[in-house]
Amino acid sequence: MRILIVEDEPDLLRSIAQALREEGYAVDAAPDGEDGFYKAENYDYDAIVLDVMLPKMDGWEILKRLRKIKKTPVLMLTARDQTRDRVKGLDTGADDYVVKPFDLSELFARLRALIRRSANKTTNVIEIGEIKIDTALRNVFLQEKSVELTAREYALVEFLALHRGEVVTRTLLYEHLFDENESSLSNLLDVHVSNVRKKLGAEFIVTRRGHGYCIE
Amino acid sequence: MNIFKSIKWRLQLWYGLILVVVLAGFGFTAYQLERGRLFGRIDDELHRRVEVLKSALHRPPPRRPEGDEPPFDPPPPGQFSDEGPPGQNPRPPREFHLPPEAAHFFDPSDPNSFYFIIQRGGKEIARSTNQPDKIVLIPIWDLMNSANTPPPRLPNSSKPSYVANFFEKNVQAAETLPSGEIIWVGCSIAPELNELRLTSLKLAAFGAIILIFGLAGGWWIVSRSLRPIVAISSAAVKISAGDLSQRINIAEAESELGQLAAVLNSTFARLEAAFAQQQQFTSDAAHELRTPVSVMLTQAQTALNRDRTASEYRETVEACQRAAQRMRRLIESLLALARLDAGQEVLKRLRFDFLKTVSECAELVKPIAEERGVKIFTRLESVGITGDSERLAQVVTNLLTNAVHYNQPDGEVCVKLESQNGMALLTVSDTGQGIAAEDWPRVFERFYRADKSRSTGGNGLGLAISKAVVEAHGGTIEVRSEENVGTTFTVRLPLA
Repeated sequence: MRILIVEDEPDLLRSIAQALREEGYAVDAAPDGEDGFYKAENYDYDAIVLDVMLPKMDGWEILKRLRKIKKTPVLMLTARDQTRDRVKGLDTGADDYVVKPFDLSELFARLRALIRRSANKTTNVIEIGEIKIDTALRNVFLQEKSVELTAREYALVEFLALHRGEVVTRTLLYEHLFDENESSLSNLLDVHVSNVRKKLGAEFIVTRRGHGYCIE
Repeated sequence: MNIFKSIKWRLQLWYGLILVVVLAGFGFTAYQLERGRLFGRIDDELHRRVEVLKSALHRPPPRRPEGDEPPFDPPPPGQFSDEGPPGQNPRPPREFHLPPEAAHFFDPSDPNSFYFIIQRGGKEIARSTNQPDKIVLIPIWDLMNSANTPPPRLPNSSKPSYVANFFEKNVQAAETLPSGEIIWVGCSIAPELNELRLTSLKLAAFGAIILIFGLAGGWWIVSRSLRPIVAISSAAVKISAGDLSQRINIAEAESELGQLAAVLNSTFARLEAAFAQQQQFTSDAAHELRTPVSVMLTQAQTALNRDRTASEYRETVEACQRAAQRMRRLIESLLALARLDAGQEVLKRLRFDFLKTVSECAELVKPIAEERGVKIFTRLESVGITGDSERLAQVVTNLLTNAVHYNQPDGEVCVKLESQNGMALLTVSDTGQGIAAEDWPRVFERFYRADKSRSTGGNGLGLAISKAVVEAHGGTIEVRSEENVGTTFTVRLPLA
């Protein structure tokens, strides 16, 4: 899962990004409106955390322009909690709204819900044969037994599971599992896939040669 | 609502009272006039009757010549029996015949239409058949009897004396003729009394109708003229309930109440603006505090998620410290503003040279300016002013810091201090991006930022505080700017 954070307060930006990375997300950061809109326009993020008060281009403007071209889930982050601000945010096309100061756990839960909804899933649990993925706990169960996965491996499983039945290209996987700061070593993805197969069974992830990977 | 405290009811009560008094006066006068007219008519009637009898009496007697004066003698037994010696009748009474032309005056079936003629001395000459039993002749009879002489009240009186008895609905008149006879007539006043009662009923009905219409009209007028008050009070009720957007709907702007409503409306508008400003300020202040609190919360929560290295903890604590410092600056600014607003800020009143303050501030800002490659030029004259040098130094520092911050790299800041027209004149000019003309007055508003970003590190209160401080010293501060050329702030303070 790759997430963009647009926030002009550097300390806040840094800590949210760090916390999200530790949760296993790939995180891109933008310190102002122009940079944020540029990134949102050019990458397909799984979700965007967008501050309202931004230099150069404010959150409303980014949202308005983005909605003309993309349906990326957007979570607005603002210090204004008046009803009319919330209504304006939701009407402009925001998918959710978090008021500062917030708890990180709440922000994460809302992000998970946003991502789940955008994949048309209504529950936290995805069941594929004997394998059960709990997206709230970020845990995978094989025959009711918890399987230890690294954050990146989990992200790979979750992304493929959310796109079950579709062939996901390597490029798309790279875009959603690694952020802008990581060098995309092409065999890194193969390593993760092979590790997941070892833990969850060789047949769990199918390779479509020349196309990509798929969970059937 | 107590109706005795309601203006509407009190007005109505007074109005009704005055109307009742006027109507009663009018009715009484009309009644008296009508009564006088009817009584005059009765007088005439009695007079006519007396005249008829008088002329009949004075006709030459058909047979018997007139004799000597009869002795005083009471009338026959009955009403007068206790007064005179009974049974004596020395002379026959003068003969009297009711003339036919007078017959219609004395209808035998009407007990009140009677006549009674006596001679001097009490001898009866004639009486009608229908004289009522209860007729009271006493007043005149008494007078005639008691003195044994012709009564003083009836000496040759040509005018009749009247006695009215309203209970019996009759009236009597007596006239003493020069020849000594007394003619006594009566007539019924029932038709007149009926007419009078009818008149009084008519007057009462008329008065009642006028009163009803008057009260209704009065009610209408009072309600109409009090309608603006109802509108005012209903608007005021809504406003006191918290809906400050309410205004009084003024239909008649020219009336006294319309003018009052207009005054109140403008007061309400100012109240609403003040409340909105206050609300905006509170919301802005909360907003400014929320961001540093968010930083501290997320920093702390992230750090606590798992074990960290010492340097990571250090970073977190430093970020928290920066956030706390920012909150402290904001709180200090808010407090300063609140004190200046409330007039609680006690400004020192000392005479000092503003030149010293300004040059010290310029020295203080120089390192920051050099960091950004901005040069500060000063042209300062010695100017003595009275005030709080510490507070004014804050103003100068704030203006200089802004001039440096919003300048372009390698820009310039010019500081000029001189005395002009009895004022100390301080100008701080920069070569920055400038401020659009429509934003000039707004730069002194609280939390207003021309560039909308928080990246410059200020909290948006500096110029608001500067303005408050300068105005507390009796001075003015204004801004002139040209986009992409630069901005000039001008401070005028009264000379010492």
